[in-house]
Amino acid sequence: MTDLPALVIVFPIFASIAVLLVGLVRPRTGWPIATLASIVQIAITGSLALRGFNGDPVQYVVGGFTVPYGIELVIDGLSATMIVLVAVVALGVLGYARTAGPRSNSFYATYLLLVAGLTGMSITGDVFNMYVFLEITGLTAYALVASGKGGRSALAALKYLLVGTFGASLFLLGIGYAYVATGTLNMADLSGQLAAVGYTSSLVQAAFGLLVVGLFVKIAVFPLHTWQPVAYAGAPDAVSGLISALVSTVSAYALIRIVFSVFTVDFLLANPFARTVLMAGAVVSIVTGSLLAVAQSEIKQLLAYSSVSQFGLIIGAIAVGNDTALTGAAIHLVGHAIMKGGLFLTAGLIGTNAGSRTVTEFEGLGKHLPIGAGSFGIIALAMVGVPPTIGFVGKWYIALGAVETQSWPLAAVILLSTLLTLAYFARLIERMYFREPAVTTSSVETTDATDAVNVATDGTGTTPSMGMWMTVVTAAVLSVVLGVVAFEYGQLLEPTIEHLLS
Amino acid sequence: MSDSTDERTPTPYVESPIIMATVRIITPFVFTFGLFVMFHGADSSGGGFQGGVIVGTIVLMLGMAFGIETTRNWVGPKLPVGLVGSGVLAFILIGTGPVLLGGSFLEYHAYEIHHASKYGIELVELAIGLIVSGIVTGLFFVIASGMEDNGGETA
Repeated sequence: MTDLPALVIVFPIFASIAVLLVGLVRPRTGWPIATLASIVQIAITGSLALRGFNGDPVQYVVGGFTVPYGIELVIDGLSATMIVLVAVVALGVLGYARTAGPRSNSFYATYLLLVAGLTGMSITGDVFNMYVFLEITGLTAYALVASGKGGRSALAALKYLLVGTFGASLFLLGIGYAYVATGTLNMADLSGQLAAVGYTSSLVQAAFGLLVVGLFVKIAVFPLHTWQPVAYAGAPDAVSGLISALVSTVSAYALIRIVFSVFTVDFLLANPFARTVLMAGAVVSIVTGSLLAVAQSEIKQLLAYSSVSQFGLIIGAIAVGNDTALTGAAIHLVGHAIMKGGLFLTAGLIGTNAGSRTVTEFEGLGKHLPIGAGSFGIIALAMVGVPPTIGFVGKWYIALGAVETQSWPLAAVILLSTLLTLAYFARLIERMYFREPAVTTSSVETTDATDAVNVATDGTGTTPSMGMWMTVVTAAVLSVVLGVVAFEYGQLLEPTIEHLLS
Repeated sequence: MSDSTDERTPTPYVESPIIMATVRIITPFVFTFGLFVMFHGADSSGGGFQGGVIVGTIVLMLGMAFGIETTRNWVGPKLPVGLVGSGVLAFILIGTGPVLLGGSFLEYHAYEIHHASKYGIELVELAIGLIVSGIVTGLFFVIASGMEDNGGETA
């Protein structure tokens, strides 16, 4: 079908409304509808991805307008990767959320709306349209964070809302500047027009700065990351898994689009300072994120700071800006999504089952909960970058790219980041396998069904379901298996990256 | 102050015949004005967002005049959700209609009627109006219920 690019965004919105409306008649239908919708979404994105990887990018103009005026949707290798990733992770987390909760119909409706927003951000070819989807993504993410019970998640969501809106406003301001300079909003058209205006024009430079800093907030790059640990730690487990895997990832993808599709490499060459800022953001984020992660005692906070550090790598790849580094960025985006989502869900599972939510409580988990501890250990090692996992391939490409352009400080920091990642994960792995539990951790409590529903959002005290185990183990398997196929994927992505850098 | 007022704070609602009569009289006019604003989205200032808020204020006025709890019971929990849902559904139908007729998404010209584009945009504005009025109503009830039922879902 030729209209699939529009339908891939419309379908989750439709499903979200279906959840709400069917929920009025039959209250317990949210999960089945959301799951069915996610499966259909995987099919749609899959068929689009086949076309996106097969030769030229798929282009579609909404409303039958002509290109610079109408909203264009573009699916190339990179955006195809993102939409498939979003659909797959959304289905996986649903499998986890069935028993882990939250379970209200409004949760599932918001969930599908978030999927729509992320998909839209990935395939849009229009900067203003990207802002709209960025806002949809942001608003639904705030609502999802707030869906946990208790004041902590509400406070986290409020903080996320304030900081996130600030970032989105900067982004919008940047679009405004670019529009003043060129009079167009279409990305492909903008890149030509911006070149015509001149890359050293202060208007163009200001637009670049605002767009990049706005997205830095959304990605959670070091000094602008303050919303992120609070939000990830305060949200219900399933929600932390979903947003840690997707929201920052798609924002980082948006940054790649803005920097390379709109402003192009020539802009970076004409403005060495822009590249320096990106590089500085990357280095500071990698080092500080890791150091802060080492200092955390709560598992979810630790994982959140680890994300700050990992996204530093992606920013580093953007700053390097050659094809090897960008291939690495794409691989690491996918890899990080699977690994971090998996880690958050595993941490949630361990917290649900054994009540261990801090670093010290992980002692002796290897005996207590072998599958949970095993999955956590495998994904953690993948995150460190042990071959042949996906974490290794992503870092390898980015480091190689940095060496190719002789950005030695960045290359050194990437190697250092591996050690730092090892520092905070080794602490956990050591506790899980080489220490006896010092204090008797609260044993598995099986509460009866009604209680299980009540505490579902909090988690502690329920037995994990089949779906939860399956999601966690699948994430662990994927983080290894994807590493094997990642090099082929890198080759598949080559034409897209070349097109992006030309 | 007696003990009973200390235990439960009195509701701010005061039953006033003047307010009730006024609200009864102006409600139809506010509603019409809301529709008027919605219909002016395509070619002049106005549109679904503004019109939707104006229509949504009707429920707020009823709440002020007749008591929020009474209004909540009268409106019911399903109406705001229904409004939002049908608004989005209407938009999706308007958008995908051209696809079924062989055009692309939101290509109004695929509908073979005079000024298809204008009527298409007008319909979308009405759909937005439905959504906004539903959300205003829902938000009003959620905020009015205060912190007591701890994050309960009205909308």
